[in-house]
Amino acid sequence: MQPTVSSDVARKALARSRILFGVLMLVVGIFMTRLFYLQVIRADYYHKVALSDQLTHYQIPAARGLIEAHQGNSIVPIVLNQTLYTVYADPALIKNVDHVADTLASVLGGNSATYAQQLRTPNSRYVVIAHKVSEANKLTLLKPKYPGLGAQAQDYRTYPDGALASQLLGFVDNSSTGRYGIEQALEGTLAGTPGQLKAVTDINGVPLAADTGNTLTPPVNGSNVVLTIDTGIQEQTEEILAAGVQNVKAPSGSAVIIDPNTGAIKAMANYPAYDPSNYGSVTDSNLFKNAAVATPIEVGSIMKTLTVSAGLDQGVIQQNTSYYDPASWTVDGYKITNIEQDGGPGQQNLATILNLSLNTGATWILMQMGGSAAANKIDQKGRDAWYDYMVNHYQLGKKTGIEQGYEASGLIQKPNDNGAGIDLTYANSAFGQAMTATPLQMAGAVASVLNGGTYYQPHLVDQTIAPNGKVAVNAPKAVVKNVVAPKVAPELESLMEYVVKQHALNASNLRFSPDYIVGGKTGTAQIAQPGGGYSKTSFNGTYVGFVGGNNVQYVIVVFVMQPQLPGYQYAGTAAAQPIFAGLAHMLINGGYASPKT
Amino acid sequence: MGYSAAAVRGATARRSLQTAGLQRPSAAEQGTAPIRRHRPDYMLMILTVALLAIGITVIYAISPALAVGKHVGQNYFVGRQLMAIALGLVMFVAAAKIPFRVWRQLYPTLLVIAGLATLIALVLPVSANYPAHRWIRLGSLSFQSVELLKLALLIWLADFLARRVRDGTIADTQKTLKPIVFVVLAVGLVVAGVQSDLGSTGVIVTMMGGMAFMAGLPMKRLMLIAGIIVLGTVLAVSAIPYRRERLLTFLHPEANCLTTGWQACQALIAVGSGGPVGLGLGRSVQAYGYLPEAENDAIFAIYAEKFGFVGVTILLALFVAFFARLKRIVDRAPDNFSRLVAAGILVWLATQAFVNIGAMIGLLPLKGITLPLISYGGSSVLLTLAALGLVFQISRYTKYVTGAGNNGGGYADSRNGRR
Repeated sequence: MQPTVSSDVARKALARSRILFGVLMLVVGIFMTRLFYLQVIRADYYHKVALSDQLTHYQIPAARGLIEAHQGNSIVPIVLNQTLYTVYADPALIKNVDHVADTLASVLGGNSATYAQQLRTPNSRYVVIAHKVSEANKLTLLKPKYPGLGAQAQDYRTYPDGALASQLLGFVDNSSTGRYGIEQALEGTLAGTPGQLKAVTDINGVPLAADTGNTLTPPVNGSNVVLTIDTGIQEQTEEILAAGVQNVKAPSGSAVIIDPNTGAIKAMANYPAYDPSNYGSVTDSNLFKNAAVATPIEVGSIMKTLTVSAGLDQGVIQQNTSYYDPASWTVDGYKITNIEQDGGPGQQNLATILNLSLNTGATWILMQMGGSAAANKIDQKGRDAWYDYMVNHYQLGKKTGIEQGYEASGLIQKPNDNGAGIDLTYANSAFGQAMTATPLQMAGAVASVLNGGTYYQPHLVDQTIAPNGKVAVNAPKAVVKNVVAPKVAPELESLMEYVVKQHALNASNLRFSPDYIVGGKTGTAQIAQPGGGYSKTSFNGTYVGFVGGNNVQYVIVVFVMQPQLPGYQYAGTAAAQPIFAGLAHMLINGGYASPKT
Repeated sequence: MGYSAAAVRGATARRSLQTAGLQRPSAAEQGTAPIRRHRPDYMLMILTVALLAIGITVIYAISPALAVGKHVGQNYFVGRQLMAIALGLVMFVAAAKIPFRVWRQLYPTLLVIAGLATLIALVLPVSANYPAHRWIRLGSLSFQSVELLKLALLIWLADFLARRVRDGTIADTQKTLKPIVFVVLAVGLVVAGVQSDLGSTGVIVTMMGGMAFMAGLPMKRLMLIAGIIVLGTVLAVSAIPYRRERLLTFLHPEANCLTTGWQACQALIAVGSGGPVGLGLGRSVQAYGYLPEAENDAIFAIYAEKFGFVGVTILLALFVAFFARLKRIVDRAPDNFSRLVAAGILVWLATQAFVNIGAMIGLLPLKGITLPLISYGGSSVLLTLAALGLVFQISRYTKYVTGAGNNGGGYADSRNGRR
């Protein structure tokens, strides 16, 4: 049975419909071939291309570890986190601009017209309205659910103690990276590991919930860090330092208090300081640097404590050695004289070398280590020995490795440098010129002599507390065990005690209870001029001292930069010594130092 | 057009002679064979429903993705499409029930309405997202005037060609060719020129060409028309910069991936990343903003992404079966008018499907044309279902040769679906 094909027209139509359908099938055939090519042969290629568009890697931020410190017997946080919000708008979606602008102005303050202008920003899908908006204000703003208005949470550091230890702590910048101080040095420990979310997203980057291809690595929060510093000592050190520096109209100063028996830093202060919660307002980035570790200077006569110790350790001098001091040496054609209390030519001993701060005495000790007083000469042997002490024993000229950003290594000239004047350079280094060191380096070196000859790694981290609560205690680490012989410790201790007692005759603030031992040494350091030579008018005042009872418990180093003093006053005595005295009294009166038993 | 009035008069004159819904065929065409009324082609209906179901499934699956950033509910798109289909089914039933003679009388009215709708679309302000004068918008509803124009032209041309065949003037240049060329040019001017809708123009012109072919227009004449169309297309493409750009994009899609070729690239990525078996119904990623018009022009690419080569094979097989069914109805149509209507609808839907799919697989330039029965879009669904209603009505009738040993057995055979 067939439909009729009785007429030519209908027969023709039937033939033509076959042609039509043939063309149609041909097209389908071409399409199927093409689809087979795209979906079977090229499937892998297009799969990759699709994923390169669709797959987005996200970082899930990890909570930054807190920074804590000792406060007597307890541990208190000194750097905390606070969640604040960045409020933003998508101008393309904002509908009632004036109304939204009024709401913003009423909640955040500011001018409604300014907000309106921001909300009308042309050709933009993201405009930041305000940073650091509180949780409460964020909730108020987002409650009416204005289309196009949103908020992004961000963690900020807060500082319950304000500017306390600002340079030591550093800050966290807008990209959540630690800058300067502890924050920079312990970035890896504090920051933790951000989580990773690898997700197929829509075109706006929003992960698609249903996609099982999403992979998630949860974030690992940063560890908390407990510092060795005691907030009480730190706070008072900052006050005493600030007062002392201001008192002599100096632009800046630093102080370090270290426990010589562990290398733990008890306080590390700089003046001026800054407010880390408002670091953006600081105009001079040098202010961010912890000068106590970052700014080496020619330390001046406090270096003589180390020269004497080296001589005693070598045995070329004894505690009771006396010698004839000519009050000047001519080394490499240059005259070495005394800049502080000049005793004049005559018989001198170790105690007077330190007390009167005889540059000629320190140079004489170096000549005993290798050279000839008669020839006004320090030879290769002397230079080699002194270099070995400075670098390999006292750890000068290299970074201590303290947990701080921007630590400087200071400069110690090499003994085999045959340039003109190496003798003069070495003679100078015996009393702290022609070499540089930071307050921390000096504190570490003197502490290593006074504790019996062990250089402990100076450190600021006492404990690290992992997010799972596991505590890792940072045990004292001996870097060098025979800095000097153990016998040198009591010898230097009594020499420095003698200096304090002598100076106390003229300075009542240097008088202490007999239950405690207090020793020290002043330094008035010459300042090298950029063009060569030293300034005639400007000096840095330095001081190294200790406080203890049965043994030395604290080593203190104070630097005061370029104090403005009347001409007859020496910077070490007039600018740095009062600060040391204040710190020593603070440690004794505050009960931080234990008396003799 | 002058033909309309004549056709109305003709229809009025013939009305009294009609017994069923169909016009009584002329003696020359009909011979002595009777027209039998039998069960309509339910297979066509089943295939139509299957294609609609695939479309609504895909739209349902990507509806949440489409709703992102548009301030509409999760099921906004699927809801609107279901409403369009419901309305389309009413149109289907109406088209199937309203007798053919009425339709044949109605085309002038339809043409006038389509013409008016086109004019309204031209004068109405355009929306920012679609800067072409193609839509009539009423609140959240919008209607694409060209869809109505397709149907109106189809019925007019079927009537026109059927009468030329009856009169034996189908090969006459003056009486047949000239009017068709005139209409083609008019459509080209308005739809392609003013509305910038080259895709729809292509569909209409191909549809008209297919009908002329089926009406038995001599091949020479058809070649002439094809020549004119090719010339017009070349002119239209080269005259307007953005069309030149689109052509270049089509020729080098990868080079323009981030600019003009974005949609073409994303469509290829969607199709290709579907792979042999697809990502799965709920797993389309390209619908999430990557592929523009994912619910509409690009729905084939999304389908291919979800169901892979296996899925597109099934879909194309369904379309082939659907078109084969239409061809069967064309072949069995009781008279030339209904044959041409069915053939016109076959060519229309096939062209539209091929232009749409071809663009998605990088074989044809992008044209902004829907995939019939699958794509989201009220106008397209409504008019496609109306057209299928007409075909459904045609499928009720077959003209059989009554020969020896045949006592109207054709009816039973037809009902049993045998050939």
